[in-house]
Amino acid sequence: MTEFFHKNKQQLIWSLYALGAIVLVLLIGDQLAGKKAARIVQTLISGVLVGGVYGLVALGIVVINKASGVFNFAHGWMMVVGGMVFWSFFSVSEISLVGAGLLATATMLMMMSTVSWRDLRTPRNIRITVAGIVILTLLMTIGGAEWRWLHALTGTFAGAILTGLAVERFTIRPLIGQPLFTAVLMTLAVAEVLHGVTQIVWGTVELNLPVFVDPQTNSRFRPIRLDAFKEALDGIAIVRVELVIAFVLAILAFIGFLLFFRYTSVGLAMRATSEDQQLAQSVGLRVRVILAITWAVAAFLASIAGVLQGGAVGLSLNISFVALRVFPAVLLGGLESISGALVGGIIIGIVEQFGTLINSSEQMGTNLAPYVVLMVVLVIRPDGLFGEKRIERI
Amino acid sequence: MKRLCTLLVLLLLASALPSLAQEMIDYPSDLTACEVDLSGETLRIFHFGDLSGPYAFITQPVVSALTDAVNYWNDRGGVCGAQLEQVYEDTGGSREAAQSAYDRFTGNYGDELDLLLLYSSDDGELLREQLAADEIVSFISAGSIESLYGEDGQTPGWLYASNPLYINQFGSFCQFVAASPEAFPDPVIGFVTWPNAFGRAGTEPAAREHCASVGVNVLEEPQFFLPTDTDILTQVQNAIDGGANIIYTNTIASGPPLIAGTLVDLGMEDDVKLAGVNWVMDTSVGILGQRVLKSNGLPSVDGMFGSMPFLWWTETSSPAVQFITQQHSLNERSLAEQNIAYLLSWGLADSVIETYIQTANRVGSLGAVTGAEIRTTVESMDYQVLGGLLRFHFAKGMRDATENRIAVLKFANATMTGPASGPADALFVDGPSGKMFLPIVVSLTDFMPVPQLRG
Repeated sequence: MTEFFHKNKQQLIWSLYALGAIVLVLLIGDQLAGKKAARIVQTLISGVLVGGVYGLVALGIVVINKASGVFNFAHGWMMVVGGMVFWSFFSVSEISLVGAGLLATATMLMMMSTVSWRDLRTPRNIRITVAGIVILTLLMTIGGAEWRWLHALTGTFAGAILTGLAVERFTIRPLIGQPLFTAVLMTLAVAEVLHGVTQIVWGTVELNLPVFVDPQTNSRFRPIRLDAFKEALDGIAIVRVELVIAFVLAILAFIGFLLFFRYTSVGLAMRATSEDQQLAQSVGLRVRVILAITWAVAAFLASIAGVLQGGAVGLSLNISFVALRVFPAVLLGGLESISGALVGGIIIGIVEQFGTLINSSEQMGTNLAPYVVLMVVLVIRPDGLFGEKRIERI
Repeated sequence: MKRLCTLLVLLLLASALPSLAQEMIDYPSDLTACEVDLSGETLRIFHFGDLSGPYAFITQPVVSALTDAVNYWNDRGGVCGAQLEQVYEDTGGSREAAQSAYDRFTGNYGDELDLLLLYSSDDGELLREQLAADEIVSFISAGSIESLYGEDGQTPGWLYASNPLYINQFGSFCQFVAASPEAFPDPVIGFVTWPNAFGRAGTEPAAREHCASVGVNVLEEPQFFLPTDTDILTQVQNAIDGGANIIYTNTIASGPPLIAGTLVDLGMEDDVKLAGVNWVMDTSVGILGQRVLKSNGLPSVDGMFGSMPFLWWTETSSPAVQFITQQHSLNERSLAEQNIAYLLSWGLADSVIETYIQTANRVGSLGAVTGAEIRTTVESMDYQVLGGLLRFHFAKGMRDATENRIAVLKFANATMTGPASGPADALFVDGPSGKMFLPIVVSLTDFMPVPQLRG
């Protein structure tokens, strides 16, 4: 018996998984059998679109991890800060020239001093810095309320770059060469600092971010109703345009990052840095610059996700918890995988929605199903669906 | 509708009523006269709770209101000569932090801590037995059955809530529905709510049985969603598929707007009514509900029903509301702070002051005041807080308020004489995110006794 087990261990384990999967499918199938086709289609649409938002958030976490090996627990708070900065520019009809100038100055100084503060002394860099400050300030303040989209996007871009660079410069850079776990713990501290800063600057009151509606013109992205399929589906399914926008942005970001990591020297350098920072530095890669770019990019991605989430449900400190819900998606897709972040996000989105469809009263969709799927996948593929297989000598 | 228009008086917002700030309004309470001189003493108002966590958007205005109240009294020589002081801590919504805050308060202030303000049912449940053992009275705006009456629902403790229990509020809504067959034909209520203790209140069998007894069916299975959810189509459709034509929710801030927006997206805004606990009438809901507009151009939460067991900012004929509105304006508080928490916290401050005056008068000095004496005072009081904002009355073992009203959330018209019928006749004001509709709350009923459903 023991010999039989050892000889056929793999087959037996896979048989058990297959049996479990069949039981699960039968159970779910039985639950879904009584549902209208429209509900199932609607759930699938919602799952995919919500999954796109998860994917966008997951992408920011993965980018940091891919370049530095650090799991960023501050990502949720970066979302909040990004969303709040956008709100500050979007909701004010006249932007303070001094405020915009200060933000632009801080951003440009941080950018131009990425390698060293001494770089700010060269005439060429001084010219670039001044030009950057002028351009950013102009873009943030030009015109009136009708230019608020430009103000908000520029302000958010500058704020995100500043946040990312500041986090890297003052918290992560000093830890280069230290155990990765130290940097991971540092992100927890960064999360608390961003929490405090957000509360001091913007308070705790939930804010409306009307990016999808204008009350005075009643113009809004109305949901697309799939009326053409009404008979076939035995009901109506709808597609929320704001979620489609988030989904499309997520897809574009994924394509951009896939190409970036594969075909650009900076992307390749990031991958090398994630393998071994000291080794990368010893072969001439500018680890500081690479990490700085990574954190700035992640902060920008977080800001986009913060604005989209804030536009969909309102801006509050609770947005930071979205990043916690995304962790299963990150692990499911694989910690270093760009495409895994998207696929993981969509899978978790679909699983959540179908779990809710089957049993919302026990919170199966949010509290149980994603983690069961994650467990099963990690048992079969410990590095996630698309994660890199790591073999370490112990 | 006639009543709605009659009761509709306006607002509130400092930006809309600048003239109010010109003339100082007298303190509206009929406070008991001081029989003891407390000059040189300090009367501390103790409170702690979540000021930075998930409920911070509700609780921050508590600090603002208590700060304003303390300054108001100290500027006028204090209460019976005693200066007021606020002592508070942020627990971030953590039970561990709440426990350590309690330990610190009791350790640092000892016998002086006789009365404590709490914000959340969770903290109330955590500290219920300790408050009783330490003989400390606690005031809370709304508590759970367990925090106020223990696990058996029959053991009154040392916590006193100024609002009715949520389950009782739901019971009174069922009575309102049953009494309005034209507005609610064949009513079936489905819960779409948050999954915490607050969100689940009212989903108990006792509530369903009470509603069924008055002819209102309630779906057995509640639908839950999280404050971080982006899309709740599935939950809302589950409730509608189950037969619900009224959705009831125990949520606040983004919760009700998310449900209302989903109903609009589904094209069900006229077929399914939305209602909820007193917190759904909060200003945050009126502001956040403007992300999605109905087919008539008004915000998605227009027409939402809710409990209103106290006066609201719109009831400007009340001296209490006039006074608080003026204080809000004088202290340059934001529109978002013109909410339930700011309103009720002025009421809580007034209740604390009256309680201390009555107790000190009876025992002779502030030093002789104990928790037990305060409890005696509270249980013998029948006090109109701030002259009518709410009633403070806990007789016969009651630990929560026993009266409620049902109200509806609307948006003001341009002439401020009633609710708007659409964007064309609506009033737009400068809000924190640009031009916005002005939310108003209109009472639909008088104060009426709530059913007692705690089992």
